[in-house]
Amino acid sequence: MMKTEDGMGLELRGLKKILGGRVIIDDLDLSVSKGEMVSLLGPSGCGKTTTLRMIAGFLAVDSGQILVAGKDVTALGPDKRPSAMVFQNYALWPHMTAAKNVGFPLKIKGLSKIEIKEKVEAALELVNLLHHKDSRPGQISGGEQQRVALARALVQEPDILLLDEPLSNLDAKLREKVREDIRELQRRLGITTVIVTHDQEEALSISDRVAVMNSGRIEQFSSPQDLYRQPQTEYVATFIGSLNRFEGDLQNGQILGGTDVIGIRPEDLTISREPMEGSHSGIVELVIPRGHFFEVVVRRKDGIFRAFASENIPTFGEHVHVKIKKALRYQNGKLVA
Amino acid sequence: MKGARLSILGLTLSLPPLILVLVFVGLPIVIGFTFSLGFTKGPNRIISIIGQQIHVKDHWWGTFAAYSDVFHDSRFLGDLGLTLFVTLLSTILVILMGLAISIYQRLIRSKQASILVTLAIVPLFVPVVISAWAIHTFYGGDGFLRSFFSQFGINFPTLTSTSSAIVIGSVWTSLPFAILMISSGMQGIPDALIDAAKDCGAPIIRIVSHILIPLAKTPIIIAASFTAIGILGSFTIPLFLGPNQPTMLGVEISNFFGSYNRPQQSLVMAFIVFMAASGIAILYVWSNVKSAKESGRI
Amino acid sequence: MRTFLSPTRLLLNFAVLLMAFFILGPILWLAAHAFVSGWQYPNLYPSGFTLSWWSKVFVDSALKTAIKNSLILSPLVVLLSMVICLPAAYAAGRMNYWGRKIFMIGIFSANSFPKIGLFAAIATLYYTLNLMGTFVGVMIIQLLGTIIYMTWIPAAAFAAVPRNLEEAARDAGASKFRVFRTITLRLAMPGILVAIVMSFLASFDEAQGSYLVGAPSIYTMPTEMYSLVQNYPIQVAAVFSILLALPSVLLLGLARKHIMGGQLADGFQLK
Ligand SMILES: Nc1ncnc2c1ncn2[C@@H]1O[C@H](COP(=O)(O)OP(=O)(O)OP(=O)(O)O)[C@@H](O)[C@H]1O
Ligand SMILES: [Mg+2]
Repeated sequence: MMKTEDGMGLELRGLKKILGGRVIIDDLDLSVSKGEMVSLLGPSGCGKTTTLRMIAGFLAVDSGQILVAGKDVTALGPDKRPSAMVFQNYALWPHMTAAKNVGFPLKIKGLSKIEIKEKVEAALELVNLLHHKDSRPGQISGGEQQRVALARALVQEPDILLLDEPLSNLDAKLREKVREDIRELQRRLGITTVIVTHDQEEALSISDRVAVMNSGRIEQFSSPQDLYRQPQTEYVATFIGSLNRFEGDLQNGQILGGTDVIGIRPEDLTISREPMEGSHSGIVELVIPRGHFFEVVVRRKDGIFRAFASENIPTFGEHVHVKIKKALRYQNGKLVA
Repeated sequence: MKGARLSILGLTLSLPPLILVLVFVGLPIVIGFTFSLGFTKGPNRIISIIGQQIHVKDHWWGTFAAYSDVFHDSRFLGDLGLTLFVTLLSTILVILMGLAISIYQRLIRSKQASILVTLAIVPLFVPVVISAWAIHTFYGGDGFLRSFFSQFGINFPTLTSTSSAIVIGSVWTSLPFAILMISSGMQGIPDALIDAAKDCGAPIIRIVSHILIPLAKTPIIIAASFTAIGILGSFTIPLFLGPNQPTMLGVEISNFFGSYNRPQQSLVMAFIVFMAASGIAILYVWSNVKSAKESGRI
Repeated sequence: MRTFLSPTRLLLNFAVLLMAFFILGPILWLAAHAFVSGWQYPNLYPSGFTLSWWSKVFVDSALKTAIKNSLILSPLVVLLSMVICLPAAYAAGRMNYWGRKIFMIGIFSANSFPKIGLFAAIATLYYTLNLMGTFVGVMIIQLLGTIIYMTWIPAAAFAAVPRNLEEAARDAGASKFRVFRTITLRLAMPGILVAIVMSFLASFDEAQGSYLVGAPSIYTMPTEMYSLVQNYPIQVAAVFSILLALPSVLLLGLARKHIMGGQLADGFQLK
């Protein structure tokens, strides 16, 4: 999916930001290819919004460089940057109709009335909202407002599109649909996009690559697949998906004492009623339906296992055997092969 | 209002202030209006005996004689001109100052901005009699400005007893309310709406003219109408600061009622000022209702 | 960025200075007169300092009566205004009854009639009701000026109390009255406080109407100022002004935060 041959859409080099005397962003690097969709994912307060606002130009950087489409924009204000932002609460101007909202950036650029009308209608068409062009933000639903905000950003034909938690105000059902719409549109237009979210499912399903952030740094920047299968740090491994975590050493499927951290994804455990080579025995404590599979919690003499099973589901209280197929090992928080 | 229902309790609770206003504002205005038309019986009997140049009605509906008196009085026309001029100029100045300070405060959080707002609020806490007298002494013959400039050999004009002094006084006393209204309106505009405009490439001027002012339109109109109504009927400021002739209608109404003992003509002037004030009040109500409609409250 | 800012900053500091001069200049100039023996054009400095004017005010019985009248009248007026208006404000803020809007606009229109004309009209009624020159007459005049503050501002404050906070308290087992006392009233308090301060100032500072219907038998501090500035040297007026401004300044300290915090402004937006 990475299109590095097309050149860089966005580059952050050694970005640093201090707010209220605290280092909020520290030496942050990120390279996004042209046409790529990238998520900034991380817990609340890790600096996602701060990073995005620095890219958009609302916050000045304390040190470092920001390059958009190969151009250094570090010194430019938000009005001069080739980026367009979709705000968390959409930030539609309540006194303007949808068409006026979308047309505002074009008016600023000094386009003629006819050109504005054409482009606005095209943009609203793109988000399927042409029929609401004369409605005010107060008269349309949250999802529709969201799309107007998107149209207002797209109409600027930016080099880079920035979205700050664009879906967090929508209900679960709508969220999934709008998310797919955004992704489809982004692909079609081939626009470099950075989306901030704290919802990992959203990040993993929508992006080409995900940057997992932790207190002002990027822990790992890779494809959703790699992020899940090869988490480079213990932090990422525990943050993304669920994980069986042990302190110690793993030898021949057995957990021994030690200072490393062993992480095992639930699907890397096999459950069976028969003992297997190097398997652990335990009692089924909980069986949780998870849609098309089940999560089984097994209690051993010194801890629990969480495993996924889709057939031959054991029942509560049953005696079972668990075998470790694959494990991740971390030394000082870093993955060791 | 959507979903309004008939509520005996609501109506009952509203009654006391309503009755007070009806009896001591509504009733006097109605009675005063009949008096201005020459009805001199009933509640107007005593005032008709005390007052001079009282016209008595000669039709069933009354007479316009008192109105004709007033409109043929060249003093009144001068007063009316001065009143409208001072009201218009002062309101414009107050709103411009209010806008400048509030917009500055909204866009840049700085110490200067909060000092400016705090300063502008100070007159709210000074009784108008004192304000008028303080301004009188400050800009008067023995005032600070003249004494200060005389140190450099400049003969600064005495501003008291001129219409300029009324404008200064009116601006001084009206500023707090206007600033409070407008700055509260501006502060209520979310940052994101301004950021979104910046993101679109809008320069400050555009943000002010297309985002800030339209979004704070209602408080601005409320501020303007309250200011204008207040100045239109003002008395103490023009009394202390204005010229004797022409003077503002507030002073003239009082003169006609008291010194000249011509209550009928005094009331006629009051109704003329009232007409002007009503026009402004309608603007206020219209703006309020319109903004309520736009935000979907009605 | 810095170099760009500095001329702007200079301009701003100048604007602040100009504003300070415009607003504070007259007040300070007048206040300074309370402590000087004389101050004539073209001298920038007074001829001498003295406190003698203060004793003049405190021995003059007319001035003392005026102070006493004001100090009795205004608290009484505010209290009366609260009793009359607060229930109505609650209804207007919390109940969506038919006629609510007309009520609010009616109260507002009462304020848009030019004050001095209204007082002239009231005077004609007062002659008939024998209220001319009476304490009650002056009280009613002052009461009228407080109504708009005491209805509109608390109405907005009551309306702004989140319903779910009340519901949560009801849910926790509080009685209706207790919810009103501990939640509704408590949260609306800043607005009510601002209304009280504004009403007090409106009453305490009211001059035109009190003069028209009160003089010559009832004088309050502001109406006394009218004759004071004509009959006494400016220094006495200065002393009197300081005394007259004292309550306002005290109240400023009390309610400044809420007034600047938007309670006053919120009160005047029709909802
Ligand atoms: N103006 C400021 N002054 C001081 N600290 C700030 C300021 N703005 C943000 N911060 C701090 O910076 C950190 C990062 O904030 P940021 O808004 O970027 O977090 P976030 O990752 O977007 O979180 P969320 O998911 O909650 O939106 C937080 O700890 C926040 O408290
Ligand atoms: Mg955020």
